Amino acid sequence: MRNNMSVQTELDRYRAATRRSERINLLLKVLLWIVMLTGAAVFMTPFYLMIVMSLKTPAEIAATTAWDIPKNPTLENFSLVLTNPNVSFFGFFKNSLFVAIMSTTGVLVSSALVAYPFSRLKFRGRDRLFLLLLATMMLPGVVTMIPTYVVYKYLHWVDTFYPLWVPAWFGGGAFNIFLLRQFFMGIPRELDEAAILDGANHSVIFWRIIMPLSGPALATVGIFAFNYNWRDFMGPLLYLNSPEKQTLELGLQTYRALNNEQWNLMMAGAVLVMIPLVVLFVAGQRWFVKGIVMTGGK
Amino acid sequence: MMCVPKFKKLVETLRLAIFLVLSIVFSLASAKEPVTLRFTVWDGDESLKIVRNVLKEFEKQNPDIKVKLENFADYNMYHQKMMVMYAANCAPDVAMMDMGHFQALATRKALLPLNKFFAETPGFNIKEYYEPIVKVHTLNNNLYVLPRDIAPEGLIYYNKKAFDEAGIPYPDGSWTWDFKERPELKEKDFLWVMHQLTKVGKDGKTSRYGFTAGWPGELVDSFMYSYGIKAVDNDQHPTKILYNSPDMFKVYNFYCDLALKKKWIPSNQEVSSVLQSTTQQLFVQQKVAMYQNGIWEVPNMRKMLKPGSKEFFEWDIALYPACAKDIHGKEHRAFPTGGSGYSIFSSTKYPEEAWRLTKFMSGPVAMRAMAQAGIAQPAIRRLALEPGVWVPGPNTPKEQMYPANRLATDQAVPFVEFGATAEYMPEVFSLIDGRRDSIYNGILPVEKALKEGTQEAQTRLDQLLKEEDLAPFSWPAGIAVGLAVVVGILAFIYWPERKVKYTYREKRESVAAYKFISPWLIGICVFTVGPMVLSLLMSTMKWDMIRDAQWRGAGNFTEAFTQDPRFWVSMKVTILFTLLSTPVGIIFAFLLSLLLNQKIRGVPLFRSMYYMPSITSAVALTLVARKVFAPEGILNAVLYSKVFHPIGEFISKAAGTPTEQVNWFGNEHTAMPALILLGLLGVGGSMVILLAGLQGIPTYYYEAATVDGANPFQRMKAITVPLLTPALFFCLITGFIGAFQVFTQVFIITNGPNGGPNNSMLVFMISVFSAAFTTFRMGYAAALAWVLFFIVLIFTLLQLRMSKWVYYETDAK
Repeated sequence: MRNNMSVQTELDRYRAATRRSERINLLLKVLLWIVMLTGAAVFMTPFYLMIVMSLKTPAEIAATTAWDIPKNPTLENFSLVLTNPNVSFFGFFKNSLFVAIMSTTGVLVSSALVAYPFSRLKFRGRDRLFLLLLATMMLPGVVTMIPTYVVYKYLHWVDTFYPLWVPAWFGGGAFNIFLLRQFFMGIPRELDEAAILDGANHSVIFWRIIMPLSGPALATVGIFAFNYNWRDFMGPLLYLNSPEKQTLELGLQTYRALNNEQWNLMMAGAVLVMIPLVVLFVAGQRWFVKGIVMTGGK
Repeated sequence: MMCVPKFKKLVETLRLAIFLVLSIVFSLASAKEPVTLRFTVWDGDESLKIVRNVLKEFEKQNPDIKVKLENFADYNMYHQKMMVMYAANCAPDVAMMDMGHFQALATRKALLPLNKFFAETPGFNIKEYYEPIVKVHTLNNNLYVLPRDIAPEGLIYYNKKAFDEAGIPYPDGSWTWDFKERPELKEKDFLWVMHQLTKVGKDGKTSRYGFTAGWPGELVDSFMYSYGIKAVDNDQHPTKILYNSPDMFKVYNFYCDLALKKKWIPSNQEVSSVLQSTTQQLFVQQKVAMYQNGIWEVPNMRKMLKPGSKEFFEWDIALYPACAKDIHGKEHRAFPTGGSGYSIFSSTKYPEEAWRLTKFMSGPVAMRAMAQAGIAQPAIRRLALEPGVWVPGPNTPKEQMYPANRLATDQAVPFVEFGATAEYMPEVFSLIDGRRDSIYNGILPVEKALKEGTQEAQTRLDQLLKEEDLAPFSWPAGIAVGLAVVVGILAFIYWPERKVKYTYREKRESVAAYKFISPWLIGICVFTVGPMVLSLLMSTMKWDMIRDAQWRGAGNFTEAFTQDPRFWVSMKVTILFTLLSTPVGIIFAFLLSLLLNQKIRGVPLFRSMYYMPSITSAVALTLVARKVFAPEGILNAVLYSKVFHPIGEFISKAAGTPTEQVNWFGNEHTAMPALILLGLLGVGGSMVILLAGLQGIPTYYYEAATVDGANPFQRMKAITVPLLTPALFFCLITGFIGAFQVFTQVFIITNGPNGGPNNSMLVFMISVFSAAFTTFRMGYAAALAWVLFFIVLIFTLLQLRMSKWVYYETDAK
């Protein structure tokens, strides 16, 4: 009986303690939540301004401040941007999508291939080749622009999409290679060694061990590459001439001409351009949230 | 045998068919193939529609010509693209051009002189075009741009309601201005009108200003021109800068008096608080009663002020006042102007067809279409005066009646003045421009700012004008050096390891590794090495992208280190920006990623929200820059609120404007901090990388540590931070490389290749860009770029040396 009683009180005490710590936890969570919400409000200001302005008529934009919520929100700007035969939104959209998908695929495949030996193989000149890789990021593009243009001209690539996506298949850029190399270096080497003992060669290790364990890193590179190419302005500006070949970022500049800035249409266009990127990020996030539980360790 | 006739028939038919097909083919081949011309414009949506229609008409009238329209609305980048295309020998045939850009091309023979075409074209009379706009596009008696429009900035948009309320008659253009108000002249004195129209609210603040212009420079330049003085001795070939004179001081002091003391004109502070690049919105919101600018404001103005809407008020335009007594004591009227036209690139294969296109696009059909839409004042005077075309006629629809007094645009033409058109002047003026902002903000006294600026600018101008006796660049020698550089790089990579012996297994690994990196090696050979080596050669050249390159040796580098005042300024600004923004950004991203790695409700949503600015269009970020950091912006609303106002006052004092709320991007002391703060919005990229890094940390490490009794802080120190170091190291290296090359943000905020107030945001890449594409000194730009390259390289090497803190699983044994 006594024994039972004491077990009961012990249990009660334990329950009370849990409840207390739960309450503290909850308080902490609410506090964190408030901090995150404040920060998010700051980070959403650009988007807020875009949305608000895209829902106003030119007259309302002129008469109100940028922060004011539209009194009579209108979707007129969006329908104008989507249907203007002079500035073909869907034509641009198709071009942007093609370029972004082709180059993102190229970046994912080739930067992972190149990053692999830099992260875990020994080969002649590795460290200095890596420095060379980093060095290609250090020279401003302004001064290599004309020679590069001449190269593409000799390849007959001017006014085609090739200059915008083919280079992505040749290494995918120093930034992405470096990023993946850093992540690959975080994968314990015991895994490869075990595989080698089992008779696996490097392509097996790469495809069967490294790639499956690099979900978050690959998702990151994929999102970055897609964003970069979707948003790229200089590349399409330099290499595309025909209006029907323009990408969204280039073509929608038509609403932003000298002395003829149409803020309502610019902002509606900007919101539309963002949508695929938001969708991609939300979808790509699954990879971060899920995380990778590595089973290869002890 | 029965089938013979049939067979014959078949043969006959076939023969006939072949004959027909062949004859059609031959006739098609013998007819002249239509020539295809490439035609480039920077028109935006509205004028582009008109250009397209006019081109259709042109093709109908000229069946032997097909026109391929190419449009790039970004005005700055348009000219850059033209240069790159011309240098790579694939320029268009006909291109839109203006006075600020044609001279550089014309002096280098990249454009065709048009005079010989006039002479050969019956019925064409250049005298029909407004004389000033023809003159400004003429160089050494040759016309290079056939003007399509002219846009004098000598128009005053005025609010009729405001005039009615003050009981002042509407202006008829006969008014004058003087440095002092002359109340006895009443409405004939511009200053008196400005004074009368200024309304002061109960709080002592101005609720409506009398007057403003599109931008402070336009306002001051108009005073300057009508007072009878100019900024340089010769627009096309300037050799002397004339800002250091008592007359110029008088003009600038006049502006400061009106804007900062009398407050009849909004100061730079208020102007920064409005949305657009121009101050048009102040006029539409009735915060100013009179507004000076060119006619191009009309289409937008009509959209904002629709008759019948509640925003609407009656408005019109009037001619800008003359100066009552200029430096010679006479009445004098003058103001700046805009305008554009079409040029023919000298690389065209079809000059005659190109001329027909140019003539048509700068001819009556095109001008009528543009004028009727209210977009551009025709450059042909006869059309500008034709009722119903530009000047409203009886059949003009009501909404196109505004502004009614369109004759003012014609009256303005004889008085237009042009600024310096030589391509090296933007760089020279930038040495004064930065200081001018400080004058507008009341931070620097006029005399000191203009005197110092002029001295510096004049020295730079003299250097740029100095003729150097240079030998042509020897390409065989250049190629030899280029090959030597490539060999040198290969030696650098492989020489140190020449004695290292590889075992059989290591050799196999090495071969496998090279197979893996082969795409990159091929890519670097095809796309990267050539251009990089060429740009290295370029750094020893004097090269304007058009004429043959000359050998300048180390001249570009010594110029940068010893002569160019912008070099050291931009170096200081860039290093400061890099050293501040990168660590701050990484710490911020790290904290954010820890926060967003928690298992709390709504975290996925928060991640997306924090990532949002990284995928927002650059234009929207500019908006934020303007709206958040404006004097009346939301940041100041917090800083100067009841709770935080000591902070706000402290910043005001530090910024040199103790009585006002700080104008972040308009003030030389606060522009850099504002730039760094704005950069923090783009931290989403690093955050994602660090989040991915956090996800890569095996959870069993944490489980093991918890079992061993480690508290959260210990877990952070022993697991999270060490395992995140590879990702942090990546952010650090790429962050530094990126920060050294920061460009776009600044380019957008300062609206072109400028350095902001007192060049406080003159980052290195702005110098490189403007050397290359504003001043056309590609060799010098390449030298600057290579200086930057070596600085970044040294920084990176130091970081690699000090990378012992980075923990790699692959190294752990």
